[in-house]
Amino acid sequence: MATLTLTWQRLHLGRWGLLFVVLLLVAVPLPQFFAPERNLVTDSLLFSLTQMFILITLASNWNLTGGLTGYVDFGHAVFFGVGAYGTGILMGQPGWEPWPEALTLWSFWPAMLVGGIVAAVFAVLLGSATLRLKGPYFSIAMLGTFVAMRELVRVVRPLTGGGLGMTLPPYLNRPLFYYLTLTLAGLVVALMWWIRRTEFGSTLIAIREDEVGAEMRGINTTLHKITAFWIAAFLSGLVGGIWAYQNAYIDPDVVFLPNRTVDMVMMTMLGGLGTVAGPVIGAATIYWLRDVVWSNLLLFHQIAEGILLIIIVLGAPEGIMGVLGDRSATSLPRLWRKWFPSTSSESEQPA
Amino acid sequence: MNSQNQTNGQKPLLEGQNVSKYFGGLAALNGVDFALYRGEIAGLIGPNGSGKTTLFDCLSRVQDISEGHVFFKGVEITRKKPYQVAHMGLARTFQVIRVYRKLTVLENMLLSRQWRGESLFNQLRPSHPDTEERASQLIEFLLLDQLIDEHAGNLSGGQQRLLELGMALMPDPDLILLDEATSGINPTLIETIKDRIRQLNREQGKTFLLVEHNIQFIADMCTRVFVLNYGEKLAEGTPDEIVKNDAVIEAYFGA
Repeated sequence: MATLTLTWQRLHLGRWGLLFVVLLLVAVPLPQFFAPERNLVTDSLLFSLTQMFILITLASNWNLTGGLTGYVDFGHAVFFGVGAYGTGILMGQPGWEPWPEALTLWSFWPAMLVGGIVAAVFAVLLGSATLRLKGPYFSIAMLGTFVAMRELVRVVRPLTGGGLGMTLPPYLNRPLFYYLTLTLAGLVVALMWWIRRTEFGSTLIAIREDEVGAEMRGINTTLHKITAFWIAAFLSGLVGGIWAYQNAYIDPDVVFLPNRTVDMVMMTMLGGLGTVAGPVIGAATIYWLRDVVWSNLLLFHQIAEGILLIIIVLGAPEGIMGVLGDRSATSLPRLWRKWFPSTSSESEQPA
Repeated sequence: MNSQNQTNGQKPLLEGQNVSKYFGGLAALNGVDFALYRGEIAGLIGPNGSGKTTLFDCLSRVQDISEGHVFFKGVEITRKKPYQVAHMGLARTFQVIRVYRKLTVLENMLLSRQWRGESLFNQLRPSHPDTEERASQLIEFLLLDQLIDEHAGNLSGGQQRLLELGMALMPDPDLILLDEATSGINPTLIETIKDRIRQLNREQGKTFLLVEHNIQFIADMCTRVFVLNYGEKLAEGTPDEIVKNDAVIEAYFGA
């Protein structure tokens, strides 16, 4: 469909610009291999970038249900948690009799994969119930699921270690996690770009725009919603597994962090709900902004974030992508013209 | 042509038996019986709140039917899902316009195609060229070709009605339920819609059921009219018979 304006083009980044960014990101850890003694790239930088890739992936996943399908999920981090605990339990050695021995002491890769699959299966079961709810009811039901799962993990002590948490075999290889999360983020963004171009992606938007109409026009909305839901859950489950291995320790409070969902929502909204590039830009912006704000205004960083969120909602409801986009009129350029009428002749956008 | 169909003993395309819908204690529909035959253009009229849209909602399965049975092409659809009924060849438009406002006219049309028997895997590609071909033909047929890349939300009310009609036609349905297709539309465009409906009926044998407040439109278009009042069928007959029917006049103008 030619009319689906490619979001990367709207960014004026272009194909070569995109390639350059990707190559640069791939090259960042290389000095670690060739000249480790010079310490050109610190572990802390790699760690920061890894966290950013994780957030980009999570925000993109959230965008699939929250942005494209229009089901605003306030508990998406539950799938991150299920993936993290799935991986953790398979890699660890829970001292619980009924737990089969074949399901312990796995190596990381299969454990991560199964963690993702468990999250996806959980999403299918959960989605068949919660995706019947609409609007705020769905959001609240997912928030409830998230809290319930955290408490469940706390209660099932023999398997999860309860509130004491569980340790995973420590493995401190920053470049590995860097490349792993970079690859996953790249694949997820590519997947979202591809989904947006397919009929499947368009049907998700149709469901967002008018679910009754879509159903009446022959779209099996339940099937589409659940499919989008489990794809997002699977990917977030993988991220959870990677995060657990990288952190080497999980407990209910660090895994089921309420802020994780809020982050996904905020980042996607800042970047642009329902766009491919939006979650990427939003996640990167907020991550580095938070880094700067946090290091300079330790006491005020949450206040600053709150103010930012208010500015997004009021000033640019369609996010950065909406401001950049020439088709969708957002209020920020209009506000600018209203406040600074002298510049209006230059900033006037062609209709 | 339609009266012949009935006397031929042809099976109805759409048949309702004792269709009832209750909202709590309120009977929005109360034991409505009707039959629609292939190739006819029928009208459904009645004062506000008489249950016309509720009947449409029940037939297209947007709302559950409390009692009674509905058959489409001889198959019972009383408990089927809306998308299954759509796959069988029943399409409708809505009184309150339902288009995908943030998608373009073309995308709206492409997403209203025939999905019958499609697996999700088939949807993992852009739209099929045949679908695009059909969409652009229909867009031209409905005089929307200047607006093909416009967001549906930016169209005027009348243009959105035309788009909705196009979306209903996309899957090549056998029966089309039009809910107030002419409300808020200027007279010239109404003539276009009339002309298009007649053409579809004559050339492709499509069956229409029209809900209308515009009696002139019904009189021009329909061969048979059903009248609903307080959820019950008040009368049925040709437009001429209906306008002379005392019960109908009483229902519309009061005693």
